[in-house]
Amino acid sequence: MFSKIDFVGRWKTWFAISGALLLIGVGFIALRGMNLGIDFEGGAKFTITGLDSGTTTSDVRQALPAAEREDALIQTYGGDGYEVRTPVISEAESREVRDSLGEELGAEVSPTVISPTFGGQVRSQALQAVAAALIVIVVFISVRFEFAFAISAMVALLHDILITIGFYAITGREVNLVTVVAVLTILGYSLYDTIIIFDRIRENSPSAGYNKRRFDEMINTSIRQVVRRSIYTSISTLIPITALLIFGESTLSDFAFALLVGILAGTYSSIFVASPVLALYKQWRATAAKNKPAEQSA
Amino acid sequence: MSNRRNNILILGIVVVLIGIAAYLIFFRQPVSDATRLGLDLQGGVTATLEGSQESGEVSREEIEQAANIIRQRVDQLGVTEPEVQVSGTNQVVVSIPGITNPDETIEVIGGTAQLSFYQVLAFEEQPNVPEDEVEETRKDIEENLRDDEAYKKGETQILFEESPPPQGPGVYVAGYVVSDKAALTGQELKQNGANVDFGQTGKREVTLEFTRKGGSQMADLSQKMVNDGLANGEPSRLAIALDDDIQSAPTVQDQLGRQISINNDGLPEGLPEDEATQLETVLNTGALPVDMEVISNQTIGPTLGADSLNAGLLAALVGFGLVLIFLVIIYRVLGLLADLALVIYAFLLWGIIVAIPVTMTLPGLAGIVLSIGVAADANVVIFERIKEEVRRGKSPRSAVQAGFDKGFRAILDGNITTIIVALILYALSSAQVKGFALLLAIGVVLSMFTAVVVTRALLGLLSGRGVQLSPGMMGVSKQSIVDQRKAAV
Repeated sequence: MFSKIDFVGRWKTWFAISGALLLIGVGFIALRGMNLGIDFEGGAKFTITGLDSGTTTSDVRQALPAAEREDALIQTYGGDGYEVRTPVISEAESREVRDSLGEELGAEVSPTVISPTFGGQVRSQALQAVAAALIVIVVFISVRFEFAFAISAMVALLHDILITIGFYAITGREVNLVTVVAVLTILGYSLYDTIIIFDRIRENSPSAGYNKRRFDEMINTSIRQVVRRSIYTSISTLIPITALLIFGESTLSDFAFALLVGILAGTYSSIFVASPVLALYKQWRATAAKNKPAEQSA
Repeated sequence: MSNRRNNILILGIVVVLIGIAAYLIFFRQPVSDATRLGLDLQGGVTATLEGSQESGEVSREEIEQAANIIRQRVDQLGVTEPEVQVSGTNQVVVSIPGITNPDETIEVIGGTAQLSFYQVLAFEEQPNVPEDEVEETRKDIEENLRDDEAYKKGETQILFEESPPPQGPGVYVAGYVVSDKAALTGQELKQNGANVDFGQTGKREVTLEFTRKGGSQMADLSQKMVNDGLANGEPSRLAIALDDDIQSAPTVQDQLGRQISINNDGLPEGLPEDEATQLETVLNTGALPVDMEVISNQTIGPTLGADSLNAGLLAALVGFGLVLIFLVIIYRVLGLLADLALVIYAFLLWGIIVAIPVTMTLPGLAGIVLSIGVAADANVVIFERIKEEVRRGKSPRSAVQAGFDKGFRAILDGNITTIIVALILYALSSAQVKGFALLLAIGVVLSMFTAVVVTRALLGLLSGRGVQLSPGMMGVSKQSIVDQRKAAV
């Protein structure tokens, strides 16, 4: 499979594909911004279930107290439910909204109220978790493989995270705590893919010194040997995730969406980003090493 | 053959484990009660309370103490399986399943129950305010009191009382200017010093008994107030506040001693019964050592919980089924073995969840679904390696040997990174996310056992019985073997 593709030599093509996707994502983030959920900003969310069929968004809006009617964001939830999001409101106001929705619509209302303080904490915790994960992973790969591998894996990881965030901006999906968990899972997962390829590169690495043509060819061979494996492992993970995306209610479906994008990006990046970066980095180090003695003697 | 003995031993262990899991899941209790469901799946209330105090940081001890007090209060609500946990350095997470009146509950558990006594410096009252004008009246009173000469910014504060009026309809609303610092607090209350009682007039009241020290402080305070009253020609009032809400502000005519009572003369029977018992509970379980503020609170209705559970289970089962089919299509006989290992995996995972027990939440369900994928991955990695070795012309038997040996290193490295991520998630995140991280970690470790050790034992036993695997049975076509040989040449 893929026996004719030059994974390392045509790196410009692969990087261009990633670059285009990243640019579109960044463009959307710049123009439209991220749809941050109440987990990070604080606010209130009311999930309405057990509605009479035929209840429309405007029915829901009419059922809100006058103070919240304007600013509330109303979305469908699952098959026949709705979710109402409001900016930060007081405990008493949230009770009022809950009671009013429940009485007017005759439905079950499940409120979630998050204060801005809590939202801020969640945000900084999430960032800490991502940063900590990245650092530990770099150390781990440096120990098990070598630093060059760690750098390449890191580039691939950042690539996957950015693509995932970009897709969130493009689709306008809500970014919440679940998204952060998904991103961390993607970190672990994309790395799994990359490590399987790097493991083969490590196995095939000659003990002799670096030679660009040989090293690049060796990477190509290694990828060809494991590419099927890497695609199958992705499929075997994507199957249950797709099931979550289709059958899960909103939280699970959001989670699955992030994973779907992230794992696709991860499979691509471990083949088309991590390995070429490794080759380029090795080449750069080799050139630098060659030039250094030359400079000194001059 | 020792190899064969090993395989039989491993499979024997698996059978025993399955037996234990089956006992835990099916026989120890009805199956429906086996798995502990989180609030997001069965409905209930979760609230996160954050402690703070003016004097700076909240210590670990204080927050533990606060959690203990909250636990006692929750226990007195008589609900089933409440959970109270300390989270981070200054937060307490309270989860109460199947509760119907979240508002009152949160008030009872989160009220600091800081009892304070103040000398009233100035006050204004409105006896019969209609329900919907209370907020406005409070604002008016606050404005007026700010202009009063008794109000000094930084030294005094304005507290309010809202209660049923002595006569007529509406609400009695009053604002009081009092010192920033309480003259006496609930710390000076005797142990179990609060009691519901009926006063001389037969009205329900809560009596408070102070410690010796508290009693003498109260005597000093009331003496001063009596003197001030004589000087001003108007009796002073003593404001009794619970968490910054004034309960009552009686006039003080005489020196007070170690016993005083909180009452409500406005109502025919005195304090309403629930209010009196609530007051007794919070005062006797003690004031929280720090102010607790509800910073997030989530109520999940029972229908919403059931919907989430059904959707999650459906997704997990469909995903699981499709992965089983996928493995058989790609790896034929090897795939069947992997499927068997996956089913064992799923069952043992359930057993572990029941045994620990892990509370199943929505994120936890996601962790399980993901770990099914990871478990299948380990088999894919090994089987691809086996197929590769077969294509290189190795006999199926030595290909299996090589596949497991060489595949294991990649699986180990890959899984360690997943476990690292899971541990970081567990350490750094909120309770909800912890469920996901825990199940992912358990799943990954268990999957290494079933996908590598168990599959290998099954395969070993199969070939030991004289079953020969042809390349076709592993999903390797003859053509690809020929191709590989050509390429090698």
